[in-house]
Amino acid sequence: MTTATAAAHQAPRTDLDGIHLGFARLVRSEWIKLRTIRSTVWCFAILFLVNIGLPLLVASVGDFSGAAAAPATSGAAGSTAVAVITLGVNLTSLVVAVLGALIITGEYATGMIRSTFTADPRRSGAFFAKALILAVATFVISAASTWIAALVVHPIFAGKGVDFSLGDAQIFMPVLGSSVYVTLLALLAFGIGVLIRTTAGGIAVTLGLLLVVPPILSVIGGLLHADWVTNISTFLPSEAGRQLYAFDGGGAGQGAQSTGSGLVTLDGWQGFGVLGAEVLALGIAAFVLVKRRDA
Amino acid sequence: MIEIQHLSKRYGPKLAVDDVSFTVRPGIVTGFLGPNGAGKSTTMRMVMGLDRPTAGTVTINGSPYAKLRDPLRQVGALLEAKAVHTGRSAFNHLLALAATHGIPKSRVDEVIQMTGLETVAKKRVGGFSLGMGQRLGIAVALLGDPQTLILDEPVNGLDPEGVLWVRQLTRYLASQGRTVFLSSHLMSEMAQTADHVVVLGRGRVLADAPIGDILSGASGQRVTVRTPTPDLLMGAIASPDVTVQQTPDGSLSVNGIAAQQIGEAAARAGVVLHELTPVTASLEQAYLELTQDEVEYHSEVAK
Repeated sequence: MTTATAAAHQAPRTDLDGIHLGFARLVRSEWIKLRTIRSTVWCFAILFLVNIGLPLLVASVGDFSGAAAAPATSGAAGSTAVAVITLGVNLTSLVVAVLGALIITGEYATGMIRSTFTADPRRSGAFFAKALILAVATFVISAASTWIAALVVHPIFAGKGVDFSLGDAQIFMPVLGSSVYVTLLALLAFGIGVLIRTTAGGIAVTLGLLLVVPPILSVIGGLLHADWVTNISTFLPSEAGRQLYAFDGGGAGQGAQSTGSGLVTLDGWQGFGVLGAEVLALGIAAFVLVKRRDA
Repeated sequence: MIEIQHLSKRYGPKLAVDDVSFTVRPGIVTGFLGPNGAGKSTTMRMVMGLDRPTAGTVTINGSPYAKLRDPLRQVGALLEAKAVHTGRSAFNHLLALAATHGIPKSRVDEVIQMTGLETVAKKRVGGFSLGMGQRLGIAVALLGDPQTLILDEPVNGLDPEGVLWVRQLTRYLASQGRTVFLSSHLMSEMAQTADHVVVLGRGRVLADAPIGDILSGASGQRVTVRTPTPDLLMGAIASPDVTVQQTPDGSLSVNGIAAQQIGEAAARAGVVLHELTPVTASLEQAYLELTQDEVEYHSEVAK
């Protein structure tokens, strides 16, 4: 490796005069970071392929004669269509949970965070730029792939006698909601990643919240016959978020209803509100710590 | 210009930096010297706003680092060789950091060329040697063509050619009127690079002076004397100011009296001398004397 000592002997760069930090520039920097790490690119590729592949597979090989035979007013066709189009969410929710944590814990693990905070010593710009890029990229890739899936599933279902319209709000909203859900989940994982700062810890806590806590609460609720335990689980990110991509047969939407059994249920907008509030609360905690902690 | 005033940093019960004050001036290379664990890196991280001081203030060109609108343009820092995501290439790392300030891609190519990273720039940093990591860190520091450079152990892991390059680069940057602040635990390196030295030991400033003063201030004069009759000589030069130590190879190490006077005293007493050598203190000795009580981790030499 020859080092051009002479190269250092250059006049100071006057064309760099006047350069300064800016939020748009930090966003551009985070975009460069996002697309230049293999692990994040892989996460997005998996997200894209699963969102299209799973619905396509199930729509092609599945037997939907029940939904085809049901009367048009029953909502069976729409319910089945939504379930199939958003099938990927079960897997992609885990992918974005890993992605959201990884995008920040990867910087803490490698020491990159010090370079990031040296470039933006106030830290807030880098924090919001990173969250913004994560949210936009996750939403765009998720929405694009989900709508491709919807457009592919539609003619296959039509061929099998299951009729639905993508323009129908009952279909449109949950299909869109699935992308909103995974985007919020990515931000939730990002917040947890900021708090925990290690990749293994961040991913473990996030996946634990999604996969481990709900069944445990459900077992405890079942054993104790305690509705309040079940009601807690309704407000978990995965359960509240599920309402964002659930088919709504109509008639609901009266607020967080206590049904006769004493169990609380949420509709789509309430689920969005609950998950959104959880993401916001975690985001505020993460932001405060980012500003205060030594890097 | 970096101004550090009454800076302290406490980690639990341990005071890593203890009421440190000094000024790093433009146009010269200021060395930051001290044993491992003396608090050099912590001080530098506080200058860069990465660690919050427990007490005290740091300003760069008159304002705290976090208040700068163009931090990379004002200050270039190498705080540790690999503050880099291991999965990203050197080029993309530089490009991402340049983007935060709108620094053009042409400058990225330029610092890659200046640091000799052309052949590895597109490779992922995870596979870099320590030396290449240092070069990348220096490339990052130079990115904004900053007025102030803060380099923590820049020659660590570099090959001899790289060490020479850092020495020339830092001297050149200082000659352009920039503020250059670099730390090292290697005194020999400092002796060849720095104009001014701040010595830190256990979080406190032990010395803050031009390198010449540090050298001449150490030990006063020391003279090595060899004689077949050491007892006679010791009698001849005995005085309250003079200390004589017998070294393992049989010579005497005399402090507090000039070689000329030893020779004259020996002649008067009829003592035969085989050797009479004045010894100038090296920076290494000066440093060891300053820090001998301040070393955090003493190594016991087996006897």
